[in-house]
Amino acid sequence: MDKEVAIIAYAQLPYEADNNMSREVMVLKATRAAIEAAGLKREDLDTVITANNDYNDGRTISNMRLVEPAGSWHKNESKVEMDGTFGVLYALTRILSGDHDIALVVGESQASVYGGILPGIMMLDPTFDRQRWLLNEVSAAALQASAYMAAAGVSAEQIAAVAAKNLDNAALNPFALRSLKGADAKKVLASRPLYSPITELMTAPRCDGACAVVMASAKAAAKVEKPVWIKGVGFSHDSYVTERSLDSMGSLKLAADACYRQAGIEDPASQIDLAEVHECFAHEELMAYEALGFCEPLQGGVFFDSGATRLDGKLPVNASGGALGANAEYATGLARIIEAAMQIRGDAGRHQVKGVKTAVAHGQTGICAQENIVYVLGGE
Amino acid sequence: MGAKAAKDPVPRASIPLNPVFNWSVGNWMEVFYDGLREGKIMGSKCPACGRVSLPPRMICERCFVKAEEWVELPSTATVQACTTASVKVAENGDLVDLDAPEIIAMVKHDGADTCIAARLEGKEAAVGTKVEAVIDTGAENVLDLLASYKAVG
Repeated sequence: MDKEVAIIAYAQLPYEADNNMSREVMVLKATRAAIEAAGLKREDLDTVITANNDYNDGRTISNMRLVEPAGSWHKNESKVEMDGTFGVLYALTRILSGDHDIALVVGESQASVYGGILPGIMMLDPTFDRQRWLLNEVSAAALQASAYMAAAGVSAEQIAAVAAKNLDNAALNPFALRSLKGADAKKVLASRPLYSPITELMTAPRCDGACAVVMASAKAAAKVEKPVWIKGVGFSHDSYVTERSLDSMGSLKLAADACYRQAGIEDPASQIDLAEVHECFAHEELMAYEALGFCEPLQGGVFFDSGATRLDGKLPVNASGGALGANAEYATGLARIIEAAMQIRGDAGRHQVKGVKTAVAHGQTGICAQENIVYVLGGE
Repeated sequence: MGAKAAKDPVPRASIPLNPVFNWSVGNWMEVFYDGLREGKIMGSKCPACGRVSLPPRMICERCFVKAEEWVELPSTATVQACTTASVKVAENGDLVDLDAPEIIAMVKHDGADTCIAARLEGKEAAVGTKVEAVIDTGAENVLDLLASYKAVG
């Protein structure tokens, strides 16, 4: 895609364990800030997509009460019950249809409202796994980590060092919930043991939060300063968690390959300046390096050890702290798109990386990243 | 975020929601559970690609055809992934500490192409370990028939 659809504005709220807001107020703050940042009014929106989950929210059709705060009254509106990165896909295709010029996408959830990790358990097969109470998002991720470590020769120390990098980066991100300036692997390994090798600080902390983006057709983006263009998108769906090999992220690789074809990326390691990946657990970032083509298969640990993905490396990954810094589900991947766009615009503040022209943003949904979506974004 | 504490909290309503879903386990899982009751491990096989699913699946995701052949699989399996659990999920969704750690593994039965997430007996496990299923044919609840796995030999 060449300058067909752009991200023209965005907004995030600070991610908090409990943001002490009603859901409607939270969504209103995010959408209003994004619409204002675009210099637009509600009337200018052609289409609205919300990303949220009935089970997290505790009501069927969880967008029904978002008609006011999402600005969607009497508008072309839908929701995705997946990460907001899939909402962006929806908006992108609507704009590409030629019928719409301006789209708003908002992703949100409030972990303070319900049930710890129970919503994730509802993703499991109800006729077997769910009722055996062995698998949940964390234990399944630990099994994924175990399979990956055995295949790639990665150590728990390396995984902890990834978490330390992201938590240290998160200390520069004013929106982050969890950060640890100067964190090291030792500190991460010493945090609360959950399911080996996973300790508390290797997990993305579920929290309250919302973020929103405004997207525009080429025509509508022509009037905007610093549009961030969507150059490619790819997405793919994998087998249920017990029915696929957990030692690599197969559907992420398919998504990345499709995205790169569209964006004309032949050598991601040299053509991509920065990546924001949706790592629900620290080891998934190492696996993502491989699937995104930043290094060869099974070389994620070696690539990390080279320092390439640090803030001062040649391909910084999760300069914002990534999902380990904050995980307001359904907003988490969308925030990766926002952070990548901020970097391209030069608006990332203290975690700004110099000279970012082309960036990757990744979103995932499902147990052990069953479904993945990848974007390549670029500036003028 | 220290300033947060000073704000008046929003009023909250704690409303329980306890839906009961009467799912059908489906014909394929019924064969699986009935087999376990007799001490047999039944997997489904895709007639097109030969992929064997355990627990059985009605549709082969790869060939998009009914996996309508049945195979009885041996009780032996290999550990594909394992984790030592220090916690478990409490009813409210919190992770609470276990009194003693437990091992959870993904095991792949000999002759199968998919895994079962299961509890392993013992205190240690490693990827590649050979294990065998411990079937409790007398279990009251069908979910307890496939009780656990233990190391072979």
